[in-house]
Amino acid sequence: MLGKSKKPESDKPYTVPQKEEAKPAPPPPPRSAPTASEVKTTIGENISIEGQIKGEEHLVIEGALKGNVELEKHNFTVGLKGRVDGEIRAQNISISGQLMGTIKALGKVEVTKDADFLGDIKAKSISVEDGAYFKGSIELDREPHRKSGFAAAPHRPSSPDAAMAQPSPATDTRKES
Amino acid sequence: MAPSPAQPRGYSDNQPFPAGYSSTILKLFVESLARGNDVQALDAGPVCQENINFFAQRMRRHYACDMFIRLQRLPGEQPRPGNLVRHLDYPARSFDGIELWDLIDHLDDDQARQLMARCSEMLKTTGVLMLIALEKKPEPARINTFVVGRDYRVGFRLQPHLELAWHCRHNRALMSLLAEFEIVRSFRYVNGLREFLLKKPTLTRARIGDW
Repeated sequence: MLGKSKKPESDKPYTVPQKEEAKPAPPPPPRSAPTASEVKTTIGENISIEGQIKGEEHLVIEGALKGNVELEKHNFTVGLKGRVDGEIRAQNISISGQLMGTIKALGKVEVTKDADFLGDIKAKSISVEDGAYFKGSIELDREPHRKSGFAAAPHRPSSPDAAMAQPSPATDTRKES
Repeated sequence: MAPSPAQPRGYSDNQPFPAGYSSTILKLFVESLARGNDVQALDAGPVCQENINFFAQRMRRHYACDMFIRLQRLPGEQPRPGNLVRHLDYPARSFDGIELWDLIDHLDDDQARQLMARCSEMLKTTGVLMLIALEKKPEPARINTFVVGRDYRVGFRLQPHLELAWHCRHNRALMSLLAEFEIVRSFRYVNGLREFLLKKPTLTRARIGDW
């Protein structure tokens, strides 16, 4: 066929290469059984669940779930195609799909740019990517002495003159009434 | 409002936004909230990690409803009056503070009026509203998040996923939209960026009688 180059056949008789003696495959490296904290269960995108889930391993939802989830010290993930409606309690929670409900995380809540979230979040820390479709309330766990009222700035305290010391555009102002 | 000549070094008037500035209105807004107990505030977007942490670490509960991304999706929805503000379905007098960064610059007059009326409903009697508005459409007309940093310094981060209409207004037009509020303080920057701290009007005896 045009365009295809073919190796010139040699006159040398073709000899079938000697089959190498089969060597026994080296034994796979010893692998310890995954611990409960490493095990991950994924609910596939064609699966719908209605009801309560309680477990001791990580859970990823790619399908639909309507109901509450309680994972003691494990992580909960809503994948890109996942749809969840319920109350979620877990160590860390990551949302890339849809989640409507209440979230209580002992650790971190991560809301990616693909997420569609509607509900309330209580967590130790939170990260929200620009572009997330987000509507919700956020309550961060704080030390007991900062529980009530409007807390002082958590970072280094801002001196009253700090803002003014900057090349602020607000030096010339006029009160509107 | 007299424009301030002061700008960060290296700033040119051609830039759509200053490279970053210290926001006195933000400082006043936070100080106003700090006077209350169990305060709750609402950020109308765009959703921003730094801002969520800034406010959530300072108050009992912080609310965020990204109206920018809802506005972006609005064209695909069935148009009807109140389409946008229906997302702000919070009970009346829920919030001590509301942050409207430059949302009003992307709303037509009807939408802006509906938004301000809704904000007035959602604010507590003693609540304050922080609003930012540009006088003219920036070039290039890209949408940025106002990112709160340390010491009330505000930076900007491009939001490439947002493409919204611009409805920048001169003072007179803007003031007519803010008529439901009293202006506590306002600042105008050389590049036309304006910041407002607003509150609900104090009820006079006659108006209390109307209630």
